[in-house]
Amino acid sequence: MAAPGSCALWSYCGRGWSRAMRGCQLLGLRSSWPGDLLSARLLSQEKRAAETHFGFETVSEEEKGGKVYQVFESVAKKYDVMNDMMSLGIHRVWKDLLLWKMHPLPGTQLLDVAGGTGLAWVLGDAEELPFDDDKFDIYTIAFGIRNVTHIDQALQEAHRVLKPGGRFLCLEFSQVNNPLISRLYDLYSFQVIPVLGEVIAGDWKSYQYLVESIRRFPSQEEFKDMIEDAGFHKVTYESLTSGIVAIHSGFKL
Amino acid sequence: MATLLRPVLRRLCGLPGLQRPAAEMPLRARSDGAGPLYSHHLPTSPLQKGLLAAGSAAMALYNPYRHDMVAVLGETTGHRTLKVLRDQMRRDPEGAQILQERPRISTSTLDLGKLQSLPEGSLGREYLRFLDVNGHCFPYDTRAPTRFVDDEELAYVIQRYREVHDMLHTLLGMPTNILGEIVVKWFEAVQTGLPMCILGAFFGPIRLGAQSLQVLVSELIPWAVQNGRRAPCVLNLYYERRWEQSLRALREELGITAPPMHVQGLA
Repeated sequence: MAAPGSCALWSYCGRGWSRAMRGCQLLGLRSSWPGDLLSARLLSQEKRAAETHFGFETVSEEEKGGKVYQVFESVAKKYDVMNDMMSLGIHRVWKDLLLWKMHPLPGTQLLDVAGGTGLAWVLGDAEELPFDDDKFDIYTIAFGIRNVTHIDQALQEAHRVLKPGGRFLCLEFSQVNNPLISRLYDLYSFQVIPVLGEVIAGDWKSYQYLVESIRRFPSQEEFKDMIEDAGFHKVTYESLTSGIVAIHSGFKL
Repeated sequence: MATLLRPVLRRLCGLPGLQRPAAEMPLRARSDGAGPLYSHHLPTSPLQKGLLAAGSAAMALYNPYRHDMVAVLGETTGHRTLKVLRDQMRRDPEGAQILQERPRISTSTLDLGKLQSLPEGSLGREYLRFLDVNGHCFPYDTRAPTRFVDDEELAYVIQRYREVHDMLHTLLGMPTNILGEIVVKWFEAVQTGLPMCILGAFFGPIRLGAQSLQVLVSELIPWAVQNGRRAPCVLNLYYERRWEQSLRALREELGITAPPMHVQGLA
């Protein structure tokens, strides 16, 4: 699935994302000393016991998919109401901006991943899409990639299914660029959002996961690098609402 | 201005037991440092408790079927009162045993077969009949676990209060319709002093029709209040050891009189 020689391994340890090493023979890489990636121990594929984050918790990679699934099962019923309440309707503006950027025309082959439901929908896995190579003009993913266990694989899949000349667009929570707004945003995220989740949807934990998973996601620049590593060119990003969200764009040549 | 606000924010947004002075911790704090004290415990800051209390109260009024909101209201507003209740349980020999042994009323702990076989008129048999008549399905579902009380013993006290609620319906002879629930809330408010009971007692009647309201105010509330004041604390009763006791004898022991009228058809 991953093209040999062109994939990079990203690992999350401590507080940031960093490029571990290039080369796909390092599957199962696990870094256990924060900030000291070069001395990371290599594990053979048989002994893969990789861990990842689930919000601020640490879980095994195998567990994460199931746990994310449970979260979305739980929030599905009140999803739209909660989005409106939490963002005061601003999420609609963000999504509008994404569409505006994308400027789809009649005939455009568009794939929207992690879309929930849509006009014509297919059940699949972002890390292993049920589509042939070079099929779509535009690939979008809005507020979905943050929850994928192996983001690099999802990016590689996006690259694979896009036609040459095709465009990758991602709308996702990102890092706030203003210190004062960042403090207010943290306050709101951690003090108010889980309460809203509990009162409106009877679900504290899913919304606690939401705000934590946002903090775990790479910054605008880090994510840009990850997209480039998946083979995309002309990668750019635009921060919206002081960086609360960002739209990343890249092209397959 | 930021330096003035910081200690205030830390107090409002800090988790119970959290020691770290790092400026950003209180704002984005999760359980690190203030780990859960019991299973299902969700540590919350004073600000979160305030927001939860206000939100749950509003939601419970807006949608009376959100029983979970009533529970949240009780947990976020009851800390002080629960301490008083717990201390008072400690002073009573039967109450102290309950605190020690922590009995629970749930499907796993209730022997329905045994209760069924008890004589008519016994607490156990009448309790079962009450559950049956009021449409509770078997196996009887457990009350949702306590989450927002930041003390493990007090978490049990409020859990016990919730699990004993149906016992009170049986003792008072009140059905689980809205009128019956309000009457029991008045009794509980007088007995426990829990803010949630007091709020429920006063706001519950908002949705009642004029006739029910009239009956409530003129007959039922005075009766509930009188009985509530006369009876010793109902949290001090080890119900699980009293299944065979005759309900009538228990009522006499507690000073609970017959209700002024039959409430079933009223609400």
